[in-house]
Amino acid sequence: MSAALADVEPEVAPGRPPEPRRRRRGRVPLLVWVFLLVPLVVELFWVFWPAGNSFSLALTRWDGIGAAEPVGLQNFLDLAADPIFRTALVNNVVWAVGFGGLSVVVGLSLAVALNKPGPLVGLYRSAIYLPMVVSLAVTGLFWRVMYQPGGPVNAALEVVGLGSLQRQWLADPEVALGAVLVAAVWRQVGYIMVLYLAGLKSCDATLEEAAAVDGAGAWQRFWRIVMPQLRGVNMVVFAVTVIDSLRTFDIVWAMTRGGPYNETQLLSTYMFQQAFTTGNLGYASAIAVVIFALAIGFIITYLARQARTED
Amino acid sequence: MFTNLTTTPVTRRQLLLGGATLGAAGLLSACVGSPRQQGGSGASGGTGTVTLQSSIQDADPKAALEALVAGYTGAKVTLNSVATEQFRAQLTNYLRSSNPPDVLTWYAGSVARAYAAEGLLLDVSPLWKGDGACAGYSDALRNLSTDADGKQIFVPQNYYWWSVFYKKSAFQEWGVQPPTTWDEFHALCENLSGQGVAPLANGIGSTPWMASGWFDYLDLRINGAQYHRELLAGEHSFTDPQVVDVMEEYRRLIPYFDRNMASYSAQEAATPVAQNQVAMYLVGAFATGYFPEDQREDLDFFSVPVINDSVPTAEEAPTDGFFAAARTDNPEGALDLLSYLVSPEAQQQYIEASKSSNLPTSPDVDTSSFSPLVQKGIQLLNETQEITQFFNRDSSDALQATADTALTRFLAQPDDLRSILEEWQRAAEGVFSS
Repeated sequence: MSAALADVEPEVAPGRPPEPRRRRRGRVPLLVWVFLLVPLVVELFWVFWPAGNSFSLALTRWDGIGAAEPVGLQNFLDLAADPIFRTALVNNVVWAVGFGGLSVVVGLSLAVALNKPGPLVGLYRSAIYLPMVVSLAVTGLFWRVMYQPGGPVNAALEVVGLGSLQRQWLADPEVALGAVLVAAVWRQVGYIMVLYLAGLKSCDATLEEAAAVDGAGAWQRFWRIVMPQLRGVNMVVFAVTVIDSLRTFDIVWAMTRGGPYNETQLLSTYMFQQAFTTGNLGYASAIAVVIFALAIGFIITYLARQARTED
Repeated sequence: MFTNLTTTPVTRRQLLLGGATLGAAGLLSACVGSPRQQGGSGASGGTGTVTLQSSIQDADPKAALEALVAGYTGAKVTLNSVATEQFRAQLTNYLRSSNPPDVLTWYAGSVARAYAAEGLLLDVSPLWKGDGACAGYSDALRNLSTDADGKQIFVPQNYYWWSVFYKKSAFQEWGVQPPTTWDEFHALCENLSGQGVAPLANGIGSTPWMASGWFDYLDLRINGAQYHRELLAGEHSFTDPQVVDVMEEYRRLIPYFDRNMASYSAQEAATPVAQNQVAMYLVGAFATGYFPEDQREDLDFFSVPVINDSVPTAEEAPTDGFFAAARTDNPEGALDLLSYLVSPEAQQQYIEASKSSNLPTSPDVDTSSFSPLVQKGIQLLNETQEITQFFNRDSSDALQATADTALTRFLAQPDDLRSILEEWQRAAEGVFSS
């Protein structure tokens, strides 16, 4: 992205006389160019070259060792007919909406609730943020214990008299994805809360007081006065959430491996399974291309909207 | 790395970090590889250095293999232990690399023959001739270790049997006897269900291949070993009426399974059996290691009763052992290490230290000191007419994946049998055509 923007730059400023620019460039020490070149070369070799390869691999059948056999668009035709791919696609949408929606709603509510001074507020905040320091893979293992047939979740349901709600949380396809989602949100909420807490701290308290004096209710004050001031934070939270939900892989892999019978497969886990368990690198690359297209499509829409609102 | 780029809009910093990580990984693997290269170049004189790539992960067998390797004096052995699932995924890469590990642990049967057919396995027939380490092994083991060209490519070290395991004390407590016919088996399951005991244990959560245990046995009992082998070789369709019969019989067992089986692994499924909450477990003899030490004497087993008495008796007896890479730069060293690993003394030491109920492949191992359970296992396998391995070993790891999906879905949604079998056949055709 940054490279593309740099290319565009001269065209955005066509009015500038070329003379002083050349002189400025001449003054840039060679060392700086070296510093810029080295990461560029590293990035080209380690990132763009393999990424470009995944596009050409998507048009082949390849087991990773022998010669890749070109098959044209066959991989994509196979994908269109692949029921597991369809499940994964739907799951990805469910995941993005559920993960984003839940963590923002809960994180914002917690931030608002804990923004007031009170006893032990610091303790609550730290406790809620604590899961964030645990890696997603460990979170997954921890929640697997929670969801065991005789584990804490089922035991708690039994104790409060909701024994009929007991499930095989990770083995029942109807609830498995939701169960993983809860674990992921449990970890994400603290992060979102901290972001919103920072935003709330920078809000101007006098505006809210003035609104209160003018007779605005708490709900009105929150939506009309506080929320508009949180616009910057909202953007950060939005970006963080979308990125985190698109790259989800580890927690699903640690908890269900896409099972039972592929019902909790995400595009990322299905791609990994195809590439590194089954050894269909061509097919896996085709999935990677689809994920790339989705991500790029999303980013372009988002940037376009951003540009419009800023105009 | 391209996964990172394509799934997420990453920042430049993350990309660089990723690049640095990859670079570090490359350096690390270079470090891992270097001792072997040194050994290989110095190997021309003696037997030099040999690399043994092991997929054995259970604690006791792993320690047993380490002890065995430490006792080898022929050459310096580098033992690499790799997690089984990763080993499975990387095995082709290991064998095809220009500087492969010399000796590798794996399974006998179709799965080894498939690698041999690609020319990736070292001819180990010298060990099967004259006074070679495997010369006295049974014909069944010899056939199992022979590839399509008639040369031996596998060196079996131990094997085990599958059966329905139960606790004698628990059966006594419930006042029941092991069944001898299929009807008695169903009556036993009914009886136990009535007493509030789940009759059958299984663990198909993180080990979905366990669902193939009952599939294999029902197919062996209803259609026989010949049909079973042909089915797994792609000569019959999974939508055949014969397979439907097997699945219908499987469906009759579904109410008897532990209702938590979809959440358990193979190992976790043994816990309720140990606690007398579940009665019986169709599993390999390796499972005796899952039970508390003071319960192992209490374990007994019976073979899955005959269903169709017109088919020959058959048991599953998966064989573990070693093969060597065809591209090894030290074939003499590899053969020498293999001879050592499967010598009677080494087999006895390995089996005792691994605390399993596995059986030695060498006829020269003194088995008289082995437990009565193991003696009974040896007898079972000696009396059966046909021996099969297991679903993945009789076919391929890729076909096993199709069975995992089909069978775990079937156990959850038995009414969708027709569409599940059609989907299974489609997936299997994909495996056979690739």
